[in-house]
Formats: sequence, structure tokens, C-alpha cells
Amino acid sequence: MSAPLLSVEDLSQHFGGLKAVEGVTLSVSRGEIVSVIGPNGAGKTTFFNVLTGVYPGTRGRVSFDGEPIRGLAPHEIVARGVSRTFQNIRLFADMSAAENVMVGRHARTRQLLLGPLLRTKAFLEEEKAVEARAVELLDFVGLRSLGNERARNLPYGAQRRLEIARALAAEPKLLILDEPTAGMNPVESAELVSLVRRVRERGVTVLLIEHQMRVVLDVSDRVAVFDYGVKIAEGAPRAVMADPRVIEAYLGREGA
Amino acid sequence: MRRLLSHRHAPALLFAAALTLPFVARAIEFSFLTRVGGVVGLMMLLSLGLNMTLGYVGLFDLGFIAFYAVGAYGTAILMRAHVPAPLAAALAVAAALAMRALLGVTILRLRGDYLAVVTMGFGEIARLTLNNLDAWTNGPKGLQVRPWRPLAFLGAIPGLEFVRKESNVQFYFLIAAAVYLAAEASRRLENSRVGRAWVAIREDETAAQLSGIPVARYKLLAFTLSAAFAGLAGSLFALWDQFVTPESFVFWESTLLVAIVVLGGMGSISGVLLGALLLGGIPLLMEATLSPRLIDYRYLFFGLILVLMTLFRPQGLLPSARREAELSS
Repeated sequence: MSAPLLSVEDLSQHFGGLKAVEGVTLSVSRGEIVSVIGPNGAGKTTFFNVLTGVYPGTRGRVSFDGEPIRGLAPHEIVARGVSRTFQNIRLFADMSAAENVMVGRHARTRQLLLGPLLRTKAFLEEEKAVEARAVELLDFVGLRSLGNERARNLPYGAQRRLEIARALAAEPKLLILDEPTAGMNPVESAELVSLVRRVRERGVTVLLIEHQMRVVLDVSDRVAVFDYGVKIAEGAPRAVMADPRVIEAYLGREGA
Repeated sequence: MRRLLSHRHAPALLFAAALTLPFVARAIEFSFLTRVGGVVGLMMLLSLGLNMTLGYVGLFDLGFIAFYAVGAYGTAILMRAHVPAPLAAALAVAAALAMRALLGVTILRLRGDYLAVVTMGFGEIARLTLNNLDAWTNGPKGLQVRPWRPLAFLGAIPGLEFVRKESNVQFYFLIAAAVYLAAEASRRLENSRVGRAWVAIREDETAAQLSGIPVARYKLLAFTLSAAFAGLAGSLFALWDQFVTPESFVFWESTLLVAIVVLGGMGSISGVLLGALLLGGIPLLMEATLSPRLIDYRYLFFGLILVLMTLFRPQGLLPSARREAELSS
């Protein structure tokens, strides 16, 4: 078996005395879809924030594609092939949908000042490629016809999908989705599941936080369960959900 | 209006129309109009500069006028050292860029209100320095600059003989060209990877960072580049007026520039130009035409306009239009 794409060892993130993430070990192989679940406040988003460079992490190792990435700046981690979306949608609200995706292309393009000022051939070609790529990705997430709308005017579900398109524009090897179905109805959630599968078909590995158990069962190859900053279980979706520790974390102890 | 302004040739046509102003002023025997045009042009240059930081990136800067001062004083001091005018201007712009970069490195970690307060402080320090650094700036008495007539050669063209003697007309043309180039440069940067990164930072700094943009570097880039326009405006101002004093670089001017960018529409080139025309031009024309009794009230009108704008059109007069992508296959 080849080396995992993402390998997290004994990772902790403390805020003063609060151990938001404590000693988490997790690895994700190429082509997998892995879900992280757990009650509110279990440290899932903090864990993602350390992976993507928002927090530096207090202890432990994160290696991606064989190289250590813990403590790198967020843009450097994007350049290495990790992109993400957010629990609360964070689009560039006043830019068009297409421009949002074009911004996502930043890490894979080069032109700085002289190119655009002199409108060099290299610049014009790069711009054309960026735009074509944006259109292709909008098409992929089903938003092509809305490409020139301002992001703020898009319906909720479309905004979620636009975030995924923007993240994919950076050509990630690993896509991290923080509650992609939050606030969605069952039909929209089902569409999102099929979108996540199609993302994997593009060769992108997916790590997601998810609360809807239907979605978790449908989409995940493997599930990791967090509680109080610690990973309490890991395995195949159905096995994990039958695990008494997991049931206890969600529902409390019987007779307590 | 929107469609008219977004036309491909609109900038060139507006520029050509602007060039006729000195002739109109001559025809109606109101030569002060050319001077107003030049002053408005300088306002436009400054506003385009501030638009780069405040408009695109959303960095609040209440001391922008300091870099206008660096351009003006830099040029004045170099002219006194017998440096040729174009070289003096170029060096003054370089000095403005360098100082701006230095300031940016130290303060750009601050956000929002904090940044506004610190830049405001810097603007005041700059003015006080000019006032007190007598050895270089001659303090409040100001510096005289030797005359330079950049476009005297135009007088050789039949019909343009009057331009030879009129420095107002010459500088008007020069400033108009500078505004045109600055607007064109802004437009080109806006529709590029750099411009998109800037606007993304303004819209959501965290999301920008996690979309692969090195935010600190791009903030510094916009912050620094904006001083090029301010420095150039200052340099043209010194060469035109042949006299600089600290009085020209007061806090009010910085506030006015912020008002222009906000009133016109943050990040909108046409909006900012219109804002400069209105806020820069109207008070001057009021001064020239109103009775002395009413002049005292001009800032009252001014304040009223700003309050009404914030109430009824908070996105600005001409909010920025986003570029359309080619979506058909």
C-alpha cells in the first residue's frame, strides 16, 4: 500500500488551558472520502484549521504528500495541494461567481504587475486559461449559467457549490469540506453527495466534517469520531455508528 | 450611463473631451476654469491612488496626503539642487514609493480602525516635520521652485500660440495625461490576478488567504503602489505652483480623499473620477462664483451631500461593475 496522502500524528492545538484538539492521529489515503463527525465543540473545525494553516498547532506532526506542513502559512499549504471550504460560507460577496473561482486559481498562476500593465502575450494567455478553467469548474458544480451573478445574489445551495468550485480551482490533491450540507434540505444534500463523489472521480481526495448521518453513510469510505478534542473512534461508517463510545458521545450514557 | 461608461472607447473619448477644456475656458473668457480643471485632475490622481488601497483592498488610510507632500517636497528640494524637472519628478515618486513601503511594512498588521488612526497620525507627523525641518523645507515659509514650462513647444503649432505663455494650460494637459495613464493602469491591474487578489482580500481576508493569496504581501503591494500616484500628483503640483508649504498637506485633504473614494464607489475607477470631479471641483467653483457670505457655508453643503449619500446610495455614485466572463461554449 502506498504512503498516505495526509498523515496526522499526535496533533494537538491548545488555547491556553483549553485542549481544543488533543493527540489526534489520522491518515487519509489517496482517493478516499473520509468524514469527521462528533458533537458540537468536539474540535473538528479546529482540527481542520490546523491542517490548513489557520492555527499553528501546539504539538504533533502533519505531513502531506510526504512533506511536513504544520506551521506553514495558509497560502503555502494551498500551493502544496490542500484546499478547503468553510462552515459559514465565505465567498467574495461582491465579486461575480466566475471571479470567485478565478481567485481560487491564484496559487497556480504567476502574472504580477508588468504582465497586466503591458498586456503581454503571456498575461493574456494566462487570463484566458484562468477564465476557461473557471467556466469549466462552474459547469462542473452546475453554476455555469450563474457565472456573472454576484456571489451575494446566489441562492444558498449555489453558494455552497461555488465555494467548492473556488477550492477546486487551486487544483488540490486534498479537498477539505467543513459541513458542506449545513442548512441544506434532503434533496440539496443528495446533490451534494453526488458532487463529492464526482470530485473524487477527478482524482481529488476528500476530507469532510458532516453532521447529517444520511450523508455520512452515503459518501464516506471511513469515519473518524471526535469528542472533547480527542479522536474516540475510527472505521467503516456503519461499524463506527454502532460503537457504544460514539453513541455515548452523542446521546450520553444510558441510565445516567 | 453605465453602458456608456463601460464602452471600450469611453476612456479615450472622455480624455479627448477633457483636453478641450482650456479652449472652452478661453472661448468663454473664464481662464480660471483651466486652473480648476488642473486642480481637479490632481484630485483625481490622488483619488485613484487611494482607490488602490481603500477601494480595492479596503485599507483605511487617513494620512494619504503625506505622500502627496513627499512628491511635492521631494521635487521642490531636487529642483533647488538643479536636477532637471523630469528626473526630479521621477526621483520624488521613487521616494514616495520607498517611504510608503517602509510605512507599510511596519503598520499593515493593523486592521480597520487601528490602521486608520495610525495613518492619520503619520499624516500629521509628516506635516509637522515639514513645518519644523527648516534646514530642508524652510518651515512654514515654504519653498520656491524654479519655473518649468513642460509643453512650451506646443506654442509652435498654429492656433496654439497662447499655450506657450500659459503654464496653467500646459500643466492642465500634463495632468490630464497623467490621470488618463493612472486610470488605464488601474483598470488593467483591476482585471488581473493582482486586482482580483486585492478585491478578494477586501471581501474576506481569511477566505482570500485560504484561497492561496499571500495576504500580507498583496496588501503591502497595493499600499506601496498607491503612493506612485500620490507622489506624481505632488510632483506636478510643486512644478505647477512653483511653491510648496506645509499648509497644502493638512488632515482635511486626507479626509476629502477618503470621501471622494467612498462617495464615488469603492474600487470603481469611473466612480472615483466622478467623485473627484464633484468634491474637488464644486468647492472651487463655489469659491469663484458664490458671494463671500455663502462661501463660509460651503462645507455645510458638502457635509449634507455626504450624509445624503450614505443614507441613500451607500455603494457610491458609480459602484464598480464586475467583469463579465465569457460563459457560452
